[in-house]
Amino acid sequence: MTADRRPQRDPRHPDEHFEPYELDASIPWPLLGIAVALGVWGAATLFDTRRHEERAQVERIEDTRLATGQAVEPGHALFEASCATCHQSNGLGIRRAVPPLAGSPFVQHGPELVANIMLRGIDGPIRVNDALYDGHMPSFASVFTDVEVAELASYVAARWGENDRVLEAAEAAELRGRVSDLGSFRGGAGVAEDTGLALGDQPPFASGTLQPVAPEISALIFEGRGGQWSCASCHGDLGQGRENTPRLAGLPADYIRKQLHDFAAGRRLNESMAVVVAELTDEEKQALGAYYSGLRVPSNARPDLGGDLERGEQLAREGDWSLTVPSCFSCHGPSGFGVAPEFPPLAAQHAAYTASQLAAWAGGQRTNSSLDLMEHISSALSAADRRSVADYLASLPPVPAGTGDTLAAQGEDR
Amino acid sequence: MVTMGLLLALSFVVSLLALAFLIWAISNKQVAPDQHDARVIFEPGDEGHVDSGETATSRPYHFDTVRSGIDAVSTRPVAVLLIAATVWLVIGSVFGLVASLKLHWPDWLSDHAALTFGRVRTLHLNLVIYGWLSQVGIAAMIWVLPRIFHTPLRAPRLPLIGAALWNAAVLLGAIAIANGWTDGEEWLEIPWQLDLVLALAGVFFMVPLIKTTLARQVHHIYVTGWYFLAGILWFPCLFVIANLPYVHSGVEEATVNWWFAHNVLGLWLTPIGVGTAYYFIPKIIGKPVFSYAVSLIGFWGLALFYSQVGIHHLIGGPVPTWVATLSVVHSVMMFIPVIAVAINQHITVGQNLWALKESLPLRFIAFGALMYTMASFQGSIEALRSVNSVTHFTHYTVGHAHLGAYAFVTITMFGAVYHMLPRMTGRVFRWPALINAHFWLVVIGFAIYFFGLSIGGWLQGLAMLDGTRPFSESVILTKPYLEARSVGGALMTLGHLVFAFNVASILLPQRVPESVRTVPAE
Amino acid sequence: MNNYLPLSIISLGILAFATLMLVIAPGIEMARPEPPAGLRPYTAEEQRGRDVYVSMGCLYCHSQQPRAPEQAPDGERGWGRPSVSADYFYDSPHQLGTMRTGPDLLNVGARLPSESWHLTHLYQPRAIFDWSIMPAYPFLFEVKAKAEEGDVVVALPPGFAPAEGVVVASQEALDLTAYLLSLDRTYPAPEDGIRDDGYRPRGDAE
Repeated sequence: MTADRRPQRDPRHPDEHFEPYELDASIPWPLLGIAVALGVWGAATLFDTRRHEERAQVERIEDTRLATGQAVEPGHALFEASCATCHQSNGLGIRRAVPPLAGSPFVQHGPELVANIMLRGIDGPIRVNDALYDGHMPSFASVFTDVEVAELASYVAARWGENDRVLEAAEAAELRGRVSDLGSFRGGAGVAEDTGLALGDQPPFASGTLQPVAPEISALIFEGRGGQWSCASCHGDLGQGRENTPRLAGLPADYIRKQLHDFAAGRRLNESMAVVVAELTDEEKQALGAYYSGLRVPSNARPDLGGDLERGEQLAREGDWSLTVPSCFSCHGPSGFGVAPEFPPLAAQHAAYTASQLAAWAGGQRTNSSLDLMEHISSALSAADRRSVADYLASLPPVPAGTGDTLAAQGEDR
Repeated sequence: MVTMGLLLALSFVVSLLALAFLIWAISNKQVAPDQHDARVIFEPGDEGHVDSGETATSRPYHFDTVRSGIDAVSTRPVAVLLIAATVWLVIGSVFGLVASLKLHWPDWLSDHAALTFGRVRTLHLNLVIYGWLSQVGIAAMIWVLPRIFHTPLRAPRLPLIGAALWNAAVLLGAIAIANGWTDGEEWLEIPWQLDLVLALAGVFFMVPLIKTTLARQVHHIYVTGWYFLAGILWFPCLFVIANLPYVHSGVEEATVNWWFAHNVLGLWLTPIGVGTAYYFIPKIIGKPVFSYAVSLIGFWGLALFYSQVGIHHLIGGPVPTWVATLSVVHSVMMFIPVIAVAINQHITVGQNLWALKESLPLRFIAFGALMYTMASFQGSIEALRSVNSVTHFTHYTVGHAHLGAYAFVTITMFGAVYHMLPRMTGRVFRWPALINAHFWLVVIGFAIYFFGLSIGGWLQGLAMLDGTRPFSESVILTKPYLEARSVGGALMTLGHLVFAFNVASILLPQRVPESVRTVPAE
Repeated sequence: MNNYLPLSIISLGILAFATLMLVIAPGIEMARPEPPAGLRPYTAEEQRGRDVYVSMGCLYCHSQQPRAPEQAPDGERGWGRPSVSADYFYDSPHQLGTMRTGPDLLNVGARLPSESWHLTHLYQPRAIFDWSIMPAYPFLFEVKAKAEEGDVVVALPPGFAPAEGVVVASQEALDLTAYLLSLDRTYPAPEDGIRDDGYRPRGDAE
């Protein structure tokens, strides 16, 4: 590396003054071949993607119309899909459990009252044509768009109430705005009182669902304590949840208590919940469970994972025996309203939450279901199936007032 | 979107037609060096081999840059730029190392906003791109262009003013970023007010280079000149358009962002690296490059295809499908120019492997040129939708970025600096073993860095794509790989300190007897 | 090649063409006169918080662009529906991001709506996630002997609270949290929403 080395240099080495230049060799044919091949590939890829793109655009338009309720579907199809499970296709209801629509004075009052009841739900005793029912009608506000509410109410009033007035979507929207904060009707008496309509003799409403909450528990829920955030800060003031923060309203008290125990004991893993439950006493867990089990809140869940709703409905109602997956409803009760205490309601649960829990079971991060049932079922579902069933369950109305037991019994009746 | 689909098809067809036209033109000798040049520079039977024994002046393809006084004019601006670049390299790599360490020691140095990861990482990127790579690239241009044009650098004082402005802007930009004043987009963080200064400094670099080009004494522009001269036109356009304030917003801003950021790599750093390699490889070996026609494909292919790859950073994002696909296709088409450059450069090196033993600078440059091929191949494959689903959003892309900007451009520039400095100073490196140490530190350090991030990033991507694995798994599993990256990064940083020492040792006055001063060996 | 002028003109022409294709044409396609229904502008506080988000460089680890279910399980993770260009109507500088060292944040306000949770997490992420590698931001908080009127006290699990006094959020921390809580694009995507649909559409068979 010093000047001394210069004489011993490799003889092939050039002197300092060489100037780089290019030789005149022609392009090697493999390079041309590669260029042609890539050109063909590129053109094919572009063509292929355009096909995808057009299709995806069509699907997005469909999705949006579905979400904003621009789909034009006759009330009949909606009725069959959402109402006939309880009120039956012939509108006669179920004796002693579900009131009939046919000949019901409520229906005869016209589509506006029908729509009102659909939006608010009924929670309390109700008399229809001399028969007394324990009213547990869920709110369908989250399930139907204004257009759908209008169509369905008009359909029901016309078919079973012989009332030909047609409710417009705008009226349904206006009604929705008016009743959105009112909560469920308090039984038949509540309907009569709130609407001022003549509905015959209605049984008095006895509040039994909402227990008064102890101030310490209320503070836990709404303000948090020490190193713990409040329940409501994530799960919402009404326990309604969002995305993969679950809806708690209407979950059985014992189910909630068990989950809190499992978080504390490390049987169920969630970092944020582990922080929250660390300092809860057993009594507090019980009280929180009781509080949330009594909440009745309209659903804010939506099928938003892009799952196939038909497939989801099939899995929920029938299961898929080729995968040895039983139907969701066989354990979680008809319409996914839950069977206390082991089987939580699934209806109106957020799609992202349901799907993430199915994924967690499949991946082995959640292992606390009874008899390992969910571990087995979730592992058998594909990612697309998980999204489909989660989306379908999110599209259902929330668990109505009353206990899961009565509804399970109804299901067996049928 | 029929119209957009048509545009898309149009764009690709235009690129293909342009390439086909180029190949046709080449095969019909439309763009060969013209006959006049051939008569002047060729002597019968003299192509392709170097005969010794004659004096330099009487031989074709030989030119004495020292005696013609060309190097002497360039030396000052080049030295200023090199010193500044080296300082930024060292500072920039320290910030890079700190950022790397913070990813597995998250509570280290977390008490000050200026030292939070988001700022340290940004400082690293801006300092190495604008402080180090751009300046060392301009230094190489100022050194090489007058040599291949056989004429001294024109307006040699302007680059000094440019360097002062440029470094002031980089310094102020760094201070701004550390204090949270940023334009907020990757690669464009330096506040636009300071970008004005950078742009102005750029004019001071461009004018002398273009004046030198117009005053050139040779008719034919050697391939290095194409890359350099196109690069100094492309970069200012990119820089100014992307930094226009109050013009861009929303997703359109994101497309501008990635159009810019990838073109900085493709149309600025790549021309610097490829152009440098194109000059120094044959220069050091003393043999011409394989084919003029192939080098044309390499250059125009780069221009046609690389300019449209940027949106592959937004695959699966809220951009029109066609523009993402367009970038995917063009990314893959990059195979063509890259193979062309590979043929030209690797054949020249491969036929003269003895020179790698002989020349330490060539070792850096040949390694860098090889990494250009690797980085580009990897980039083309990474743009494929199926691969991109795994690698995008992961540390894999960070590994890829460093394969391009570091293993290719930076290491090539190390070699160029080691070749230039003895010729600028007329002195030799006193401790050649340190050059060797620098080489092995950065190569081994980079290997650890790259394989760590590539493997870790790939596993991270697979974990994120599997819904049954919680997100936490994708974080936890990368930790050992992030630690490996810090080890590699530490070795690279150490290598840069050695580099800085080498640069300082040859530039500072030495107590070396005059008799030893001569044209230094490699 | 022997002439600089043609070289310059063709080089710049190619770049202009690329700009047309990558920037101008998609820009025209994505431009829209008004925001989608359901998206509201940032409030002054949220905008200040967004500036903090930008200046801290959150974007280098957090993307804001959920992918389609055909490509990745983002929806299952609660990150929201695939975003479309209209969702970013009010965003400048854009913060789409290219890394998911941490999770996607475009809908973090929907899935983690708790202000107090975010304050804890910003003060010390490892108080919640022991595996987290996110930086702590203690400089956005203040340790005081006693909380004063109007102070927001950060809830901290045992072991993470200072030995004495309370941790109080600075205005910057509150702004940043307000911005995070405003990140909610769960409204239905507009019909004319534009995004990369290059992955297999749902209609295709498995």
